[in-house]
Amino acid sequence: MRATFKAKVTAAGLILALMTTMLTGCRFGFASDPDDPNEEEEVIPIDTSVDTFEYDSSLEGTSITLLNSKAEIQVALGEMGAAFEEKSGVHVEVMPVTDGDSPYTKVVSLYNSGNPPTMSILDTTDVIALAEEKAADLTEEEWTNEAEEYLTEVNGKVYSFPLCIEGRGIIYNKAVIEEALGEAFEPESVTTLGEFEELLDKLVDAGIEKPVSVAKEDWSLGAHHLQYIYETYDGTSEGAQEVIEKIKKGNLDLASYDRLSEFLDMFDVLKKYNVAKGDPLGADYDEMAIDLADGKTAFWFNGNWAWPNLAEAGAENEDEYGFLPYFLNNDGEDFANQQIQGSPSKQVMIDGQIASEKEQAAAKEFLNWIVYSEIGQQMLVKTCNVIPPFTNNPYEPADPLSRDIYEKVQEGRAFNASAIVPNDHWAVLGAAMQKYLAERSDRKELTESIQEYWDEQE
Amino acid sequence: MKTKNNAKDFGMFALPGLFCFLAVVIVPFVYGVYLTLTDWNGVSKVKNFIGFKNFAGVVRDGQFWTSLLLTFKYVIVVVVLVNVFAFAIAWLLTRGMKGQNFFRAGFFTPNLIGGIVLGYIWQFVFSRVFVSIGESTGWKLFEVSWLSDPTNAFIALVVVSVWQLSGYMILIYVAGFMGLSEDVLEAASIDGASGFVKLKSIIMPLMMSSVTICLFLTLSRAFMVYDVNLSLTAGAPYGTTEMAAMHVYEKAFTSRQFGVGQSEALILFIIVACISGLQVYFTKKQEVEA
Amino acid sequence: MKQTTIGGTKRKVTNALAMAGLVIIFIAYMFPFLMVVINSLKQKRDIIKSPFSWLFTIKGLSFDNFVKAFTQMDFLNAFKNSLLVTVSATVLVTLLAAMLAYYIVRHNNAISRITFALMVASMIIPFQAIMIPLVSIYGGTLNILNHRITLIFMHTGFSMAMSVFMFHGFIKGNVPMALEEAAYIDGCTHSQTFFKIVLPLLKPIISTMVILNSLAFWNDFLLPSLVLTDKELLTLPLSTYSFYGTYSADYGTIMAGLLLCVMPILILYIVLQKQIIGGVVAGAVK
Repeated sequence: MRATFKAKVTAAGLILALMTTMLTGCRFGFASDPDDPNEEEEVIPIDTSVDTFEYDSSLEGTSITLLNSKAEIQVALGEMGAAFEEKSGVHVEVMPVTDGDSPYTKVVSLYNSGNPPTMSILDTTDVIALAEEKAADLTEEEWTNEAEEYLTEVNGKVYSFPLCIEGRGIIYNKAVIEEALGEAFEPESVTTLGEFEELLDKLVDAGIEKPVSVAKEDWSLGAHHLQYIYETYDGTSEGAQEVIEKIKKGNLDLASYDRLSEFLDMFDVLKKYNVAKGDPLGADYDEMAIDLADGKTAFWFNGNWAWPNLAEAGAENEDEYGFLPYFLNNDGEDFANQQIQGSPSKQVMIDGQIASEKEQAAAKEFLNWIVYSEIGQQMLVKTCNVIPPFTNNPYEPADPLSRDIYEKVQEGRAFNASAIVPNDHWAVLGAAMQKYLAERSDRKELTESIQEYWDEQE
Repeated sequence: MKTKNNAKDFGMFALPGLFCFLAVVIVPFVYGVYLTLTDWNGVSKVKNFIGFKNFAGVVRDGQFWTSLLLTFKYVIVVVVLVNVFAFAIAWLLTRGMKGQNFFRAGFFTPNLIGGIVLGYIWQFVFSRVFVSIGESTGWKLFEVSWLSDPTNAFIALVVVSVWQLSGYMILIYVAGFMGLSEDVLEAASIDGASGFVKLKSIIMPLMMSSVTICLFLTLSRAFMVYDVNLSLTAGAPYGTTEMAAMHVYEKAFTSRQFGVGQSEALILFIIVACISGLQVYFTKKQEVEA
Repeated sequence: MKQTTIGGTKRKVTNALAMAGLVIIFIAYMFPFLMVVINSLKQKRDIIKSPFSWLFTIKGLSFDNFVKAFTQMDFLNAFKNSLLVTVSATVLVTLLAAMLAYYIVRHNNAISRITFALMVASMIIPFQAIMIPLVSIYGGTLNILNHRITLIFMHTGFSMAMSVFMFHGFIKGNVPMALEEAAYIDGCTHSQTFFKIVLPLLKPIISTMVILNSLAFWNDFLLPSLVLTDKELLTLPLSTYSFYGTYSADYGTIMAGLLLCVMPILILYIVLQKQIIGGVVAGAVK
């Protein structure tokens, strides 16, 4: 009896102590350390003085919902919605896709609940799956003229709004390379797989033992790495579709498909210099960002969405980061060795089934506002920090990764090919790639898994 | 009781609870069974009746049977370990030791946190904490992350499950031990029964009712493991730790074969129902009327 | 005389050994929680690079994570929602399950037997199997999602089977018919008998079920995420969603948020510890 009482008092005391320190804690914390990477970044000011956008006053008081599957812009979208509401009187409620749910599952369950979001930010495959059944036809919208190259069509009609361009490749940290080699580094000077390997060897000699980070996540391996074999067929979305059809029908022998063997040559190089070579499947995503920012590595295969992680790890907007292409062979003239991949990734779909005319009109106004209003244009680039696919948007992204892609797109040094693959492609073949990365399977087995996967598709 | 009041009794005592249960569990379940016979994909407006085609799809889905086999392996290991561990700890905690209430409370704490979050905590422990211990001590055991090797990832899953489930079972066994009358045990000691004999022929039969309920709870929970599976390994590495419930979910939503996924869920339910039924039947037979 | 002394020493030694073993197991058992508490006070970089290092070796130790989690979660509002849902659903399910179980035990008819069998069987239905049918019935057909009351109703329905099962076992073993018979002779009606005589006898199992159900409701994620979408209605676990990114998680805030979620229940647990453990002990078997 006495023992229980004592235990109770001790435990309650501990909790009390913890609570008190929690409440008073802010005062004696070391939070205002100037080098603290966790310090709040300053808010980028949005100039709201000029606004020539014409708002439809009949829509005032309408309330619409936006389902967001791009977690890193959740807060930014909320701010954008608030700015839009202030000007237009339309309330935009931003709903997140919660962890453990895929965007598609969330949308399906919301449709089944009879309460679907007015707008949903989805991946291209999801849009294609839902378009004709659920989405509003956006073919006649004015903004389609501003993003012609980046529209996704389903049977000749546009059902979705391209929200941003995302690009991927080999991220480099220029300062690290220059410091190690003791000379200036020109990214353009590397044009072939052979030259890339040479550079890696030089870095190894200079003391960076394993200069490359390769993520173990299945979406990275199955979607971002492997899909090069479709996308580099001829560098267009149509070409990617064509090669997929060929593989499905068995008209293309994967074992002798040069893009696959070239892709694996490059992948083998990355594997060889992988910082997590000892335990490739134990690699940690956040640690890779820290390693690259610290200079433990010089390269990381990833896309511009990795910037928040790098920034958190201490990288600054003024630092020089950029992308090298995913080198496939030693032919300097091959477009795959000259260009990086950049295409629209997230799309906004408007519900055309349950949402009222007024709600649909309000949603369309919101999209137009993003494209045509000075505030929307700024917020898309500065607040959400994405690369706009719209040619009329004059703002340039601030972080080095997005800026690099933005410039490459402008200069024609990026190819826009997105392969439309079934939704479980990244999961199923991501697992096959993990096996290959961990050296538990060989090229033959991997090739067979790819063929097998496509054989199972109808 | 008095039969004339039966209808009134039923309406007053049984109906409200029964209504909630039927409306939330049984009706959706029956509707779900009906859906397995249609080609509904979760989104479309029309549902066509297609008979048992979805079940043919289940037969073809080799990955489902692999995951089911793995689930069996997992269930056996987890059920045995949880019950042995919980039984032993419960025995220790009923010997009148100092601070036993503190321990009882402590072992219950995993129940204070939801499954998904528990999985994340452990994922952090396995992939970051253990590896960092390995780095600084050079212990081979923690050199690489357990979650990157199929066998070790399976072990990790078992460890976490045992950790998560045993707290509650400990309490049930503690209850059982406290229900044992001291007289019986003392009588046995005087008769000169040794520790093991005492356990086998006196304690076990009296503890059978606790064993029945613990086995039932661990069996069904282990078969339906989902939360921890998802947040700890998510099937990694390369799909080798994907249990049945998770596969069902993936089939329905990631591969978008809703009918097949729903059918697999039904088959899983039938298997669990049969096994738990058999278990309860056999362990009940062992119980002595106390 | 001599024998008892030897027995005593032997017993002391085994007890000490058992105690030592127990303490070791206990520490291992608590290890993950320790990691959560320690790392909730660190910054992300330190969490990733040196998760195991002790607090005083880390520069920049702070309570920022807690402050951030508190504001981002809209803690007070979410706390209010969680409390409302948990308390109502717990009261409802405890009362209804006790009555239903009482009916089943005292009426050995076909309805009782079928209901009980159905309930036991339903305890092994995977939630994934009824998830989509559930939302399509309650949302698509009835259109009553996004209300707290719907969530309370569903929580009640889902935990009914387990609760009835536990009450059933307890009533069968611990509530003697004789008391009720006596009450009837004194002229009590059935409901008077139940509320005045039977319910007080159920106290141990009631406290067990209250704690088990309220824990489950407090922590549940999947069901509320299907039912509630309105920001104003979110419960505590739902309000931590934003800490998990698509590509990486904000570990420090997650751990702080987790502690904030658990804190209320932990305090309750410590205060009621004796009743809880006693309740489980009294109610679990029979």
